[in-house]
Amino acid sequence: MTRRLVPLALLVVAGVYLWSAARIELDPWSADELVNARALPLFCGSLLALFAAGMLLRGVSPGDAARRYKPLVTMSACIVAFAVLIPGAGLWPSLALFLCASLALLGERRPLVLVAAPVATAIIGWMLIEVALDVYIHPGDWWS
Amino acid sequence: MWEGIAAGLATALDPANLLWVAAGCCAGTLIGMLPGLGPITAIALMIPVSYTMEPAAGLIMMAGVYYGAVFGGSTSSILINAPGVASTVATSFDGYPMARSGEAGRALAIAAYASFAGGTIGAVALLLFAGILASWATAFQSPEYTLILIFALSSIAAFAERGRVAKSCVAALLGLMLGTVGTDQSAGVQRFTFGRLDLMDGISFILLAMAVFALAEAFHMLTTTERADPYRPTTSIRLAKGDARAITPTVGRNSALGFLVGVLPGAGATLASFFAYEFEKRFNRNPACGIAAPESANNAACTGSFVPLLTLGIPGSGTTAVLLGVMLSLGIQPGPRLLETDPAVFWGVIVSMYVGNLVLLALNLPLIPYISRLIQVSRPVLIPFVVAFSLVGVYLTTSNVFDLYLMLAFGIAALALRWAGFPLAPLLLGFILSGMLEENLRRTLYLADGSLTMLLHRPTVVVLAIACVAIWLAPAIRWWQNRARAGARL
Repeated sequence: MTRRLVPLALLVVAGVYLWSAARIELDPWSADELVNARALPLFCGSLLALFAAGMLLRGVSPGDAARRYKPLVTMSACIVAFAVLIPGAGLWPSLALFLCASLALLGERRPLVLVAAPVATAIIGWMLIEVALDVYIHPGDWWS
Repeated sequence: MWEGIAAGLATALDPANLLWVAAGCCAGTLIGMLPGLGPITAIALMIPVSYTMEPAAGLIMMAGVYYGAVFGGSTSSILINAPGVASTVATSFDGYPMARSGEAGRALAIAAYASFAGGTIGAVALLLFAGILASWATAFQSPEYTLILIFALSSIAAFAERGRVAKSCVAALLGLMLGTVGTDQSAGVQRFTFGRLDLMDGISFILLAMAVFALAEAFHMLTTTERADPYRPTTSIRLAKGDARAITPTVGRNSALGFLVGVLPGAGATLASFFAYEFEKRFNRNPACGIAAPESANNAACTGSFVPLLTLGIPGSGTTAVLLGVMLSLGIQPGPRLLETDPAVFWGVIVSMYVGNLVLLALNLPLIPYISRLIQVSRPVLIPFVVAFSLVGVYLTTSNVFDLYLMLAFGIAALALRWAGFPLAPLLLGFILSGMLEENLRRTLYLADGSLTMLLHRPTVVVLAIACVAIWLAPAIRWWQNRARAGARL
């Protein structure tokens, strides 16, 4: 089953892509052209569907099966939390919190690494980007 | 010409200008090492500084910034697999595995030497052939570009590892498909945006590069059950025995290739580095050559991109477009008359490129042992910082939180593809070439007025078309050769 999971996903992607490509709105002038806004997507989508169908029949190597999924899920959750926090807390405080949380979740327990490194990284980032390079970044709704 | 070169030397070797080029190299390297901030951003950020300077000094400093940023991008590619700019993606293919196997210092040193050699060869070529190359570059139009792009995509199939041709093609197709997301440049219609404003401008390169390389690599490290911290870091910048002999011809041929590709408006360092890597790996499996090829090509291409800028006033890439703006704001009008009106500036910039390369080598080589210590950090500490570095790089370029969700989704998808044995480099190449291919194909058909017979009257198009057919036949020939060998053994 795992040998056919990726080809199956690719086939679904190709199907959805082709369906969306067929719905691209064209103006009357470009509808008659050989290469219009739909041409490349239809070409690529069809080729992908063909390749995916071939791979589905033959199957692809599933690779090394011994993997840990829990750290991937926790890191993904940290990334989502980071993205959710940015509009309110701003980039740099969110960065410090993200680093602190992900370090803790990966098993880091040394206080200097767990707290000081994330805070220092955020401060250096702020100084380099906003102070030295003068790039404006929204400070976050909670502080403005 | 020699008087001009002498004037250029005098301008470039002026102590104040030497200081400016050194400052430019330092600033460029630092900015280039940050993911998301490539040469364009580096030059744009230094514009306010250049306003206060003499025109020649300002332009000389900008040349240093350009080179520094390209080299800085290579450093993050090699050390943490986070290519901040498209032109350094190919460097990470062999550079990052070498850094992981404990040869970070050697990989960075090879990159530094190859960059220096590529830049030097490019500067000499620019000095000698600027005029001739400018007229050659203008003869390239959409039909030639279309064929070049098809050739680049075709080379994916020809140069794929054995048993991975179909997977390489699928990855390239996925890249082409992702490149069609957003507003269609010609017709102005929305494609695959699903009504979201965030997708109207398409998917940014930096987002995809970070997701596919840095994030997927971090996720892979997280999920593998092998014991943590596989790094055996060495910080020595000494090349291995035989490295110099191995990389010398690689650097020579790929610098020439990079320079010629760089001269073509719109092609630039990215295409040059991919071309160089793919061609080199066809003949040479040495990872040192895998780093030297794209590094020498992208630096030579950077120099080459100055040909249309200085001689025709046409910016050949995004970076030279920003540089054109800088030149105009400094009161320099680039074009055919620049050589007559401002020979000191024209030759000064060309000579400064060589000086800039020299300064870059002198500055970066002593720093490599310190920079390469970065990967000595243990895995549980390194992974969050690599992820954070990538996320901040993407957020800085777009200031859009939606891009972070998109990046996470692409990162997980890239991990799944990687587990199934799909190479990810063709995906990025397909993505980069997608828009260029579609645009040039349309222009070609407009030029041909629907009939493709006019293309047969263009010799370059015919040669490139034959090369494309030959490259598609390469896997079949290889298969036939292997079969014949197997038959002979029996």
